Amino acid sequence: MDQNIKYTPLHDWHVAQGANMAAFGGYEMPLWYPSGAKAEHLTVITGAGLFDTSHMAVLTLHGPAARPLLQRCFSKDLECCLGPKKTPLLPGRCVYGVFLDAAAGVIDDAIVYQCNAEDYMLVVNASMGAPIAAHLQQHNQEEPEAALFDLSDRVGKMDIQGPAAARILGRILKNPAQVFEKMVYFSFKGSFDPHFLPAEPVELLDATPVMVSRTGYTGEFGFELFVAPAHINKLWDMLLTAGQPEGILPCGLASRDSLRAGAGLPLSHQDIGPWTFACNPWLFVLPRDETTAGFTKDFIGASALQASGGTPCTLPFAGFDPRKITISDKSLVTDLSGSPIGTILTCTTDMAVDRVDTKIVSLATPPEAGRPEPFTPRGLSCGFVRVDRPLDPGTEVLLTDGKRKLKVEIRAEIRPDRTARKPMQTML
Amino acid sequence: MKELDELNLPGNLGYTDDHEWAQITGKTVRIGVSDYAQDQLGDIVFVELPAVGDSFGKGDEFGTLESVKAVSELYMPMSGEVVAVNTALMDSPELINQDPYDAAWIIEIKPSDPSEYQQLHKAAAYLDLLKG
Repeated sequence: MDQNIKYTPLHDWHVAQGANMAAFGGYEMPLWYPSGAKAEHLTVITGAGLFDTSHMAVLTLHGPAARPLLQRCFSKDLECCLGPKKTPLLPGRCVYGVFLDAAAGVIDDAIVYQCNAEDYMLVVNASMGAPIAAHLQQHNQEEPEAALFDLSDRVGKMDIQGPAAARILGRILKNPAQVFEKMVYFSFKGSFDPHFLPAEPVELLDATPVMVSRTGYTGEFGFELFVAPAHINKLWDMLLTAGQPEGILPCGLASRDSLRAGAGLPLSHQDIGPWTFACNPWLFVLPRDETTAGFTKDFIGASALQASGGTPCTLPFAGFDPRKITISDKSLVTDLSGSPIGTILTCTTDMAVDRVDTKIVSLATPPEAGRPEPFTPRGLSCGFVRVDRPLDPGTEVLLTDGKRKLKVEIRAEIRPDRTARKPMQTML
Repeated sequence: MKELDELNLPGNLGYTDDHEWAQITGKTVRIGVSDYAQDQLGDIVFVELPAVGDSFGKGDEFGTLESVKAVSELYMPMSGEVVAVNTALMDSPELINQDPYDAAWIIEIKPSDPSEYQQLHKAAAYLDLLKG
């Protein structure tokens, strides 16, 4: 095996299943399994899929200085971030945001979990544990400073995503009703290591401690599950067995990418990255003060953001059929007359949607909301472009690889009727 | 991903370095992509076909396959004029994954130089090529 490539605990399982493997973020990961990326994408819309996400990095911060350090480095204002009333982050809740550099470029995106009064957990992208830890340490200046740990090799993670996720997960948890009670979107329970991060216990049927987070990277209902690496293979097998009635499938990075793009979620270092975090669909992670033009807190990158102009703009798009443009040095975005206006950041195919007349309809769209019967979507190309001007939804632009041209439409949203935010009680 | 020895590489076809196959069917030649190609590409979600009547030289691009992973060009294993295209692939591009040789032929050509078929790899030579 290549010494420079890392492997998750499930690597041998993926290979034994005949997964198509590729390097991603320093890890060799499955792109798809023999069932194929399309079936994997569709099962997350209609049933459930299981993703190996142990390549993600996990940091923890502890002590009275932890929150002030996050307030300085993380884009979300932890004192006003929950719900419409913008209440403070509290134990059991987590928030999505970005770490910016002084020039307001994105170092990485992250979910910050508050575990206890002074204990926080951060989940960042593969291979970003060390850079984010270094960034935090650089600004860790209070006395006493926050204790910072990189747990990336001490935590295993998998995501169960899709409308059947709670029903399947419930079959292998000790007290599912208790775990799922009041488990709103972006909340979590339990701990993968109760000695290190104390929490109300959540356990598998065999008493293995697990942290259950109602989050994900597909736009669909589901959970991210954290356990000690020694339990990863067991948990994976338990979920695949428990999910057989719903047709659960192991899912690779290809379907993860097409699902997240259709859901309008950015890939760090591709859709967001070392350029000014302005004019994009994810500005909700900034601590905008509704009453003034400013921010509710000072943080790294804030002054650069205030000084930044309105362009370039990152915008979602959807095509009119499944055709894609391969991103290369030659690929670009033009207006309909062929004048270059920007670059393509992501271009993939959401295979669960198609256009019905002019409207985009998903396999999850209720019949009364416009899904015809039968509905076998061919899929639509979709992703993000970065252009030199603001464009309203509905504007058509061309994507080109230098040879072929593809007309696509700027969108406010791509895949409709996503399930991520559905009330828990309707999903059991 | 299939092991190379698991690939289905029928002996009655000629293969190219770019993983197309050609099959002589009387006076015409059918063209498609190999089991190796479909396995590497993953799910095919769209096929761009040429028009009947189009003519191409050997090695010319005649269409594209859209997989979940990438857009791949299709190249002519032999020169000729397109006399038929497999329109079933328009609605069911997944046929290429399911049955890359029979149901999922892509185009049929009238070859301009039938002797070009002799330059294609036999199945065993193609497998050796894949094995490097």
